[in-house]
Amino acid sequence: MTQATRILTVDDSPSMRALLNHALSTQGFEVAQAEDGLAALDWLALNEVDVVITDINMPRLDGFGLIERLREGTRHRDRPILVLTTESSDEKKARAREAGATGWIVKPFDAAKLVAAVRRVAH
Amino acid sequence: MNAEEIQAIFFAECEESLAAAESGLAACKAGTQDDDTVNAVFRAVHSIKGGAGAFGYVALQAFTHTFETLLSDVREGAVAVTEPLVDLLLRALDTLSDHVGAARGLAEVPDDVGLLAELTAAQAANAGAAPAPVPAAEPAPAAPVAAPVAAPVAASADDDTGSDPFDLDAMLDDITGAMDTPAPAPASAWLLKVRPHAGAMRNGGEPLLLLRELTALGARCIECDCGAVPPLDTLDPGTGYLGWTFSLDADVSEASARDIFEFVGDDCGLDVGSDAPMPAVRPAPAPVPVAAPAAPAPVAAAAEAGGMAPAPAAAAPAPPAPPALGQSIRIELGKLDKLIDAVGELVIAQAMMAQRLAGDGLAVKEELTILEGLTRDIQESAMSIRAQPIGSVFSRVPRILRELTATTGKHVRLEVSGESTELDKTVIERLGEPLTHLIRNAVDHGIESAETRIAAGKPAEGTLTLSAEHRSGRILIRIADDGAGINRERVFAKAVEKGLVAPDAQLSKEEIDHLIFAPGFSTAAQITNVSGRGVGMDVVRQNVKELGGRITIDSEPGSGTTFTLTLPLTLAISDGMVVNVGDQTLVVPLANVVESLRPTEAEVQGLGAHRAMINVRGKFIPVLPLHAAVGAQGAIEQAHEGVLIVVETEGAGRAALLVDAICDQRQVVIKSLDTHYRSVEGVSGATILGDGMVALIVDVDSLVARSLSGQSLSPVQSLAEAA
Repeated sequence: MTQATRILTVDDSPSMRALLNHALSTQGFEVAQAEDGLAALDWLALNEVDVVITDINMPRLDGFGLIERLREGTRHRDRPILVLTTESSDEKKARAREAGATGWIVKPFDAAKLVAAVRRVAH
Repeated sequence: MNAEEIQAIFFAECEESLAAAESGLAACKAGTQDDDTVNAVFRAVHSIKGGAGAFGYVALQAFTHTFETLLSDVREGAVAVTEPLVDLLLRALDTLSDHVGAARGLAEVPDDVGLLAELTAAQAANAGAAPAPVPAAEPAPAAPVAAPVAAPVAASADDDTGSDPFDLDAMLDDITGAMDTPAPAPASAWLLKVRPHAGAMRNGGEPLLLLRELTALGARCIECDCGAVPPLDTLDPGTGYLGWTFSLDADVSEASARDIFEFVGDDCGLDVGSDAPMPAVRPAPAPVPVAAPAAPAPVAAAAEAGGMAPAPAAAAPAPPAPPALGQSIRIELGKLDKLIDAVGELVIAQAMMAQRLAGDGLAVKEELTILEGLTRDIQESAMSIRAQPIGSVFSRVPRILRELTATTGKHVRLEVSGESTELDKTVIERLGEPLTHLIRNAVDHGIESAETRIAAGKPAEGTLTLSAEHRSGRILIRIADDGAGINRERVFAKAVEKGLVAPDAQLSKEEIDHLIFAPGFSTAAQITNVSGRGVGMDVVRQNVKELGGRITIDSEPGSGTTFTLTLPLTLAISDGMVVNVGDQTLVVPLANVVESLRPTEAEVQGLGAHRAMINVRGKFIPVLPLHAAVGAQGAIEQAHEGVLIVVETEGAGRAALLVDAICDQRQVVIKSLDTHYRSVEGVSGATILGDGMVALIVDVDSLVARSLSGQSLSPVQSLAEAA
């Protein structure tokens, strides 16, 4: 039995965190949650993770800022990072990729869409 | 947790968001119209919209969408904040509140047609744009689209997660497996040609996963195009040389296959049809300089604002010098990095000119001295622009300690000094992680429980001391606790158990202490509050090493442990000792150098056939001929004929590097070898010397560790060619 894929979700909205946690943990993923980019960095300092899912607009440190900080070091340079976005335009997607995201999940999402996106990038 | 509970969280959040938006707008009306205020209003509405979409409240979502679109323009400055606008926004907020009420089933859905038109008009008019069509009820295309794709994916994932992604056999199976049965494609089938380019591996992407997903869709690989694979010595692992032809059944739509490659976009060539040629190989692009993120200006600024947020946290007795008085200007980080690069080139050019003139006997010209002084001034100013006080990192510590008190029950007093010490922004940003880890380690493993402490005659409350100071061009950061110190017997036993050292190994106290940094070592089963699987101390050392720094431990049983981080002020320039070894010139980082000496023949003693040791004040240190490590020709081979440089390393203690001569000690501008050539073991970078020659900067830690462990040095011997 292999270890479950560990996911850190970063979102400032409690209901979105609850939704993500529910959708992912019922699919057998191990889920940890942070409420913004800085909290995510604090958590990542002490824990290992397989995939990061982050919202973009957050207080203190936003999603793109978080990705930038993670990509700076070697530890997270190849970490799959998905961004949650409400925009589905190609321009926004290109922006996400430019910022270092591996992929994106367009909100609103359902569990199947979320899980498919994670599986697509989980090493 | 069920759907109703999550919904309840959402409604509670809506109330909070509405209140936050209301107070934000009230502040706007009262005249506070700064970015933070507007952003808070935007985020509140944005957050409601996100949830509304997720829970399927179509009317609420449609209204928040229009509201948010206007706020987005306000936030970006495209729409001016005027009194009528704030009034309009306040009315929109009232309607939004009604919408939330309707979603909860407490009220009727409000009539928002007029207001929507006003919001759209306000946006269009102020932005000077043609009235954009209102994408009012953005369809929420959740289930129907995703369902057909998701099912097979989930199925495939069950098979695939079992296999290690780096299992070569599995990879080969993936590449060639389906080719064993090249069943003739049914007439109705269609062909898809796939060639992932270098970019598909960027950002943590893994093309193999995409091919697996394609297979899960029913695609059969009928051909693998290996024609472009070059000979091994010219193979660039970053280039996509392979292309695959897949056959798919007619009932699989092209869109669903293309959808798999959505994340990689142009970075993966796709062609459909039997006539279509395989997309051509695209060589890996030149590595993007790390310091030039595409357009991070606002993001970086926001991050900065976040990181530097006022931190009047408990432990800061004297706030750093008030920066508010000076005027400031925000500039894009990329521009700054360009300036610093240029200054680096200036320093090199100045040194080259000085050396050339010295060769012509013109070294003492006064103008040259002035130029040298100015160059140094410019360099220091440029560096100081990027410098920030370390207080921004320290200010997060009280919170970490509070959380630790909650989980461990240990009360810890914090003492901080030197928080106004400045160092490079990048260093500051990347310091947070190792520091958090060390603090956690100090409280978890260092400081004892209150009972134990009282029994040992110590105050019940532990003390953690954080300090930062400048010391000869480097920054020293100390994290000291007054706990039990490192239990060396336990550490050694654990290391033996983990197979890190031999049971009969004779190690000094320091060497035992440093075992805790070995990969695979962790003293106690770390129980973290969330996942239970922690990060080891080896990551801390790796973090520090990536910053060009070193970490050392000083532990006294019964009275505490001190971790000392020695970090460079900047990542761009370093102090180095320029040495000659045969036909090569190398730079040894000054951070590693302890002393240099000219040994007499008697001081050097043989150890077996190929080893020599030198007796330095009663302590024996292994002598490593640098020429052997780098493959230099014509170097001095007897220690007493050359110069020994005693260096301190992280993992392997001290060693004495044998060189022919020391030529100079100077600041060197570090050029990354990774970006210009490739990563070479034993070398941390290169620099350009005054005479225009490239000199390699020795990675003392890895070089000494390799040499002492008796590993073959042949990979390092290619250094000569690298240079």
